[in-house]
Amino acid sequence: MKDFISILQYEFRHFARSSFKTVSLVLFVAAAVYGLQNGYDLFRKQQVEIAGIQAENDEKTNEVANQLEKGEISPEGAPWINLTTPFWAIWKAPTTAVKPPSPLMPYAIGQAEQFGYYKSVTTWSSTFDSDLAEEIANPERLTTGTLDFSFAVLYLLPILAIILLFNIGGLEKDLRFDQLVQVNNRSRKKWLLARFAFYFLLLIGVLLLLMLPYAAITGALKDEFSAFMELVSYTVFYVLIWFVIFYFVNLSKRGSASQALKMVAVWLLLCIVLPGSIHQVASLKYPTSYMTDYIDANRDETYKLWDLPTDSIRSRLLVLYPELSKTKQGKDALTNEEIINDSSSGLVNELMKNTARTIESRNERKNRFIRSTYVFNPVGFFQNKLNAVARSDYYAYSQFRADIQSMIDRKVHTLLFDSWNEETVTKERYLQYVKHFKNDTK
Amino acid sequence: MKQIILNEWKRFLRVRLLTYLTVLFVLVLTLITWLGILQSNAQLEQQLAAREHVRKQWETLEAMNPHGAAHYGSYAFKPVSSLNGIDEGVNHITGNVLRLEGHVQNEIVYSETSQSLSVSKFGKLKPSLLLQYVIPLLLIFLAFGLVSSEKETGRLKLLVFQGAPLSKLILAKALSIWFYSLLLLTTTVLVQTALNNGDTDLLQRTFLLLLAYAAYYYVVTLFAVYLSARLRSNTAALSMLLAVWILWTIFLPKIWGHTADKFYPLPSRQEFKTAMQDDRSKGIDGHNPADKREEELKQEVLAMYKVDSLEQLPINFDGIVMQADEEYGNQVWDRHFGANNMLLQKQKKAYQLSGLFNPFASLQSVSMGFSGTDMLHHLDFLRQAENYRRNLIKRLNNEHAYGGSKTGDWNWKVDNVFFRSIKDFEYKSPSITSMSGHYFIDLLCLIAWVLLATFVVTFTANKIRLT
Repeated sequence: MKDFISILQYEFRHFARSSFKTVSLVLFVAAAVYGLQNGYDLFRKQQVEIAGIQAENDEKTNEVANQLEKGEISPEGAPWINLTTPFWAIWKAPTTAVKPPSPLMPYAIGQAEQFGYYKSVTTWSSTFDSDLAEEIANPERLTTGTLDFSFAVLYLLPILAIILLFNIGGLEKDLRFDQLVQVNNRSRKKWLLARFAFYFLLLIGVLLLLMLPYAAITGALKDEFSAFMELVSYTVFYVLIWFVIFYFVNLSKRGSASQALKMVAVWLLLCIVLPGSIHQVASLKYPTSYMTDYIDANRDETYKLWDLPTDSIRSRLLVLYPELSKTKQGKDALTNEEIINDSSSGLVNELMKNTARTIESRNERKNRFIRSTYVFNPVGFFQNKLNAVARSDYYAYSQFRADIQSMIDRKVHTLLFDSWNEETVTKERYLQYVKHFKNDTK
Repeated sequence: MKQIILNEWKRFLRVRLLTYLTVLFVLVLTLITWLGILQSNAQLEQQLAAREHVRKQWETLEAMNPHGAAHYGSYAFKPVSSLNGIDEGVNHITGNVLRLEGHVQNEIVYSETSQSLSVSKFGKLKPSLLLQYVIPLLLIFLAFGLVSSEKETGRLKLLVFQGAPLSKLILAKALSIWFYSLLLLTTTVLVQTALNNGDTDLLQRTFLLLLAYAAYYYVVTLFAVYLSARLRSNTAALSMLLAVWILWTIFLPKIWGHTADKFYPLPSRQEFKTAMQDDRSKGIDGHNPADKREEELKQEVLAMYKVDSLEQLPINFDGIVMQADEEYGNQVWDRHFGANNMLLQKQKKAYQLSGLFNPFASLQSVSMGFSGTDMLHHLDFLRQAENYRRNLIKRLNNEHAYGGSKTGDWNWKVDNVFFRSIKDFEYKSPSITSMSGHYFIDLLCLIAWVLLATFVVTFTANKIRLT
């Protein structure tokens, strides 16, 4: 233990005297802070945008509620609208599905810039509508990628580790006093291990110091403590993997330059070549879909449903929603054509849900393939794990789509049952609608 | 100088590892160029199938009201360019499907990245990935010890005393490595040219790519050998070169791209949508509401046909109103999308200017540009698709107005012959000659770097200490 501590002390002096290493560490810290700030900016931007949307929705809600209170059932210039009918009240109930950013977003922006995080929901909506597009952004910037904290950890930290470690054991070889080291230390492996341990502890310490303030600012320490700890664990484990690889490189005793070359080659292989190859194979195996199945459902199949006679719409809806038979329209032999025709979104929703399932399962096949490569692609594994913890990966947005679908379902269900029951909408009922349609995505 | 280059090559050939590595690189480059073409072709097949599928639906439309057909709409599927196999550029980030319909300009959706988990931060293993990231690193590995090891063994002094100026020595050693890089580069270009059906534009683009990469490699090798001479040891040279490589290829592109985004911020989608909706409903100048415009148009048309009411018109006024609204909407779109495009182009220019201190930025920009996969080509696709949409909707509205129906007759239908007479959207990729002006800054920066590297070696190398 005494030897170990003395090696750590010696290593600290070695590190402090090497301006190249200290400057590299400072540069890494600067990059990591820059990345954290980028993530935090996006986190704040999304929060502000969502708050703006919600305020706008509240304003629209109050407007309609006031109209209902005053008995103004048709807005000025729109006599065809009757706010006391469920159809129009639901149409006028502003509903926006939002995906609030996770407090852990500063650590991993992930795929957040490639997906939309809010969407207006109506009874005619679907989870692949074009208004669920990502934010307006420069595609070349997105291609180059954002320097976020996860990028700093996954790609830059191994480079920093190379800079810190490449001459550990190698310098002694270069200056030809490696034999002397051998004489002074019974085990070269332990000597190397102790020196590596210093840098490992140094990097972990730096990472924790960088991570904690942002966790405190975003509230992650309080609200998402276990997720934060998961993130820290992944980070520590990831750094450990690189140190283990580099430890074995340095065991070979080939000199600093040779060690640096090998380390850079490993970095190149694990960070660029391997993920790039997997990406290419995945694209060959699963080419980008042009979503013709969705287009067909959204257009041709929907048009066919719109052309159906009222009786067919009614009977199909009764099959999909057997409970409708207990409603007024369900029991009556003479049906209100307008109500039934206005309910066709129930059929369209089912059609779109089936298509969405096909698309999601197609995407899942590609994801399964990507996951199957994690065994030999550690960078890919950790990248998606960090993104998952920060809720900025594909599945977080897939969950968001599921939430949107559940909102559409609620809207359609309310429309069907309340309009078939010929309910009259009051201010209170309208406000209930608004509350009922809200999403509770975290 | 020729002798030094030949000696270096002989030395390279003597290193068995390097020979194996070269064979491996040539094979890998051939393979991935071929795979890149294969992937692009597979994508193109998908795009063509989708296009044919949607066109078939349009051509088999049953008799329908023209305005109904405008809502039914069409789709533009973004094709991949022939050189997508070399450099994919922004294609995996941008959407691929654009719905074209009346009243509204949709956003392009369904990008490749939105269809799966994240895979690689540096893109697919295409020739561009190897040519931009891996090969420069290989050149650095080959170059870092070229002069410093001679310095360490004292051979450098001997060579200089024998009459070889250090500048010439550095230049010759750098050229020997540069020729090696050209070998790898030519492999990619030859495979690409052989496997692609080359039209003139494609050949021009490929040639320009070759020149741009050759220029970048020239800069990298010259600076690498220069630093190898300038710095005291192998390790110092390698450390410095790796630091420069990281700075150029990893740090600066990301940081500068983000900075350009901050300099010229784009509106959020919500802000953009609200502004468009406001303009569309209130009028561009804010005091010309839609209803007022409609009334003015009505009076104008009634006067033109010398009648008192819409019922007396021999045409369908609804079609005229819809087309007028469409044209008004187009103005709104031009204004807002024009402003966005302007910002995007400013961002692009700001990024291109970073080529002054980072040649990698220039290389990246021209690589995407010459491959036809950069943002400018993407914007060109959107522009052509929008022009098609405007023509399509105009034809449908004109048919509604002048095809034989009367105002208010929404049940009037046109038959399938009319729909088939409307041509399908066909994207014509712009020629490199028409686009070349956009890459002027990049090319200028690369040329400046080539001159700077030559200047530094020629005029300062002789002052380097030989020990």
